[in-house]
Amino acid sequence: MKWRKMTGLLMTGSIAAGMLFGCGGKDEGNTTDTKGEEVQESTAKDEKEPVTLRILLAAGSGTGMDEIIDEALAENYPEIQVEWEMINWNDLNTKMQTYIQSGLPDIIVGKATDAVTYGKMGILGDLAGKPYLDNVNEVGTESVTVDGKVYGLAFDAMYQGIIYNRKVFEENHVEIPTTYEELDAAIQTFKDAGITPFATHFVDTWSIGNLAMQFAMGDVFSKDPLWGDKFRSGEVSFVDSPEYRQAYENIKKIYDNTWQDETFSIEETASDAKFIEGEAAMKAPGFCPTDTLYTLDENFDYGLFPYPNATGDAKLLFQADTTFMKNENSDEAVNEAVDKVFTLLTENKEMVGEICDITMKAPMIKDVETTYPDPSRNDIEKYADANEIVNVDIGNNQLQWGGFQDENAKAIAEWLQGDITIDAALKAADDRKDNSLQ
Amino acid sequence: MRKRTLNQRMAGQYAILVLPGLILFTLGMMIPLCMAFSYSFTSWNGLDATKKWVGLDNYIKLFQDKYVRDAWLFTIKFTVLNTVIQNIAALLLALLLDSTIKAKSLFRTIIFIPCLISAIIAGFVWLRIYGSVLPALNEILGTDINFMLFGSKETVLTGLVIANNWQWVGYWMLIYLAGLQSVPHELLEAAKVDGANAVQKFLKITLPMLAPAITICVVGITTGSLKVYDLLVSSTKGGPGYASTSIIMQIYNTAIAGRQYGYGSAMSITLIAVLLLIAVIQLKWLKKREVQM
Repeated sequence: MKWRKMTGLLMTGSIAAGMLFGCGGKDEGNTTDTKGEEVQESTAKDEKEPVTLRILLAAGSGTGMDEIIDEALAENYPEIQVEWEMINWNDLNTKMQTYIQSGLPDIIVGKATDAVTYGKMGILGDLAGKPYLDNVNEVGTESVTVDGKVYGLAFDAMYQGIIYNRKVFEENHVEIPTTYEELDAAIQTFKDAGITPFATHFVDTWSIGNLAMQFAMGDVFSKDPLWGDKFRSGEVSFVDSPEYRQAYENIKKIYDNTWQDETFSIEETASDAKFIEGEAAMKAPGFCPTDTLYTLDENFDYGLFPYPNATGDAKLLFQADTTFMKNENSDEAVNEAVDKVFTLLTENKEMVGEICDITMKAPMIKDVETTYPDPSRNDIEKYADANEIVNVDIGNNQLQWGGFQDENAKAIAEWLQGDITIDAALKAADDRKDNSLQ
Repeated sequence: MRKRTLNQRMAGQYAILVLPGLILFTLGMMIPLCMAFSYSFTSWNGLDATKKWVGLDNYIKLFQDKYVRDAWLFTIKFTVLNTVIQNIAALLLALLLDSTIKAKSLFRTIIFIPCLISAIIAGFVWLRIYGSVLPALNEILGTDINFMLFGSKETVLTGLVIANNWQWVGYWMLIYLAGLQSVPHELLEAAKVDGANAVQKFLKITLPMLAPAITICVVGITTGSLKVYDLLVSSTKGGPGYASTSIIMQIYNTAIAGRQYGYGSAMSITLIAVLLLIAVIQLKWLKKREVQM
């Protein structure tokens, strides 16, 4: 009977050993402190000592940014090695929740709103006073500044408004609308010509949420830049705000003049394909530059104009996008290496141009030349020269996206489909006041 | 020294062999479950170092939350429809493939293939089918059928049930097929000799013998449907509005996107309790009806 017991023990031991080895081993050079946090063990005693940086890249698309940066680092700072982790931006919050418990990467690449969110939690390093910030467009730096602390390096940006098909506008002799009345007239002209005025894809509820904030920027935050803070303190509400009601009505106008039967059934690529084929005159919401339209048709000629408002003085919306953030708790050697990487990102104009040519986003680094085809560039420069651009993060940093704007978008979708009234949709936003900012 | 009995020695050996699995189960399931239970009594946002104790507030809020109620309603409707349709369809297909039709292997393969793709891909595929492929048929045939099932609150559940059944009916069909093929032929022949027709043979012999397979399929489809998430993420995203938001999606949106980890944990604990209850009730009721040879 003894041999049976021995056999049982041996089998148990081998199964357990297999599972332990199968789960992976420790990385070389890493140690774990008593709180369970993973701390990068720095062996750098001088500048040339090798340092490995962990970078979490939450990019909306596979940019190739990692390879370009790796090449530039190999040339300029060969002692710096990078371990990249690439995820979709939608997964950043989940990852951050995990890494906050287990140990943040050294550099996190997200959006400007992420820098504000996580900066306020005290987990991001303050870049204020760093010399490389002088190479960053001030508007971009403002987007990531909270109470004088700069929580990120704004790398690129997008412009938001209504994208329009230049050919369709020219063929139908329609001028760019600036007021609601002019927009109504343009809509009617297109309908008479058998063209759907707006291309939309409301199955992607985020597009409704974007529209809501973009209309709010024109009618709400343009009049009261602190509306979001007042909302939280109870001074204003969605239900009692004629401007927010108008913003919702504007979305309804777009819904009434789009492919209603399809908008909740087709996603963005299918909608863009129909837009490019001339089935619609305008696309809402629209982000420029856009690699999606370019991928579908390299020769598609489009422009960008601001969402009209009541007074005809609507501004084009600007949003700092890709932002590099630093872990507050890295050690000295890692901090030095991060500064070198950030210096590279702001001084190597050729590298920045190369990255922006792939992502097709406007660089926030000064004096960077890009060569990607952008039919909307002239429009954007026109509004920029006339100082008719406003930072949409004024609103986004007061009313957070996750748990507030995205949920409000679903309530708007219910209203658009006739399931609830506009008052109920506005009240749903008021009922979520506690989730409007964390 | 008191000698251990054979049963005691066997029990000890069984315990040793079960130990690794038990350790993994404890680490991977029980500990996170206990942690989620403790978080459910806090207002933690998933990021802060501190977790503020709020007692039963999350559970009280849960029962007053319209969105949670609607998510449960959708999930229950989805589950009931799936359980009924998938079981009947799988059984009928199994009966067909257990008959004397030609090319059985080909049909079995075709029906089973959708099980091999992930639910995320299935959702994306059906979004395209409803949004672009089937509407193109209207243009070809000159008809005006509304194929945009994901486009409205009234039809989105139907669209999702079709997509889900298309993906999983093959899997359950194989289980019923195995059950059918294990029914002793002597019983069926004896019944035939006694004058039983096809329907009587099916109801009196085949169906009772299939009870174990029915148990597996009903419990499997029910618990799987209650946990639907991937299909929704890639197809309707829970919309239009909240029309196709399942309870798992509501938990994710609350805990992760909405950074209300404590409240989301309370929803999760409730879901686990419901899943356990349903599984226990189903197993007890269905086990009674199983025929043991």
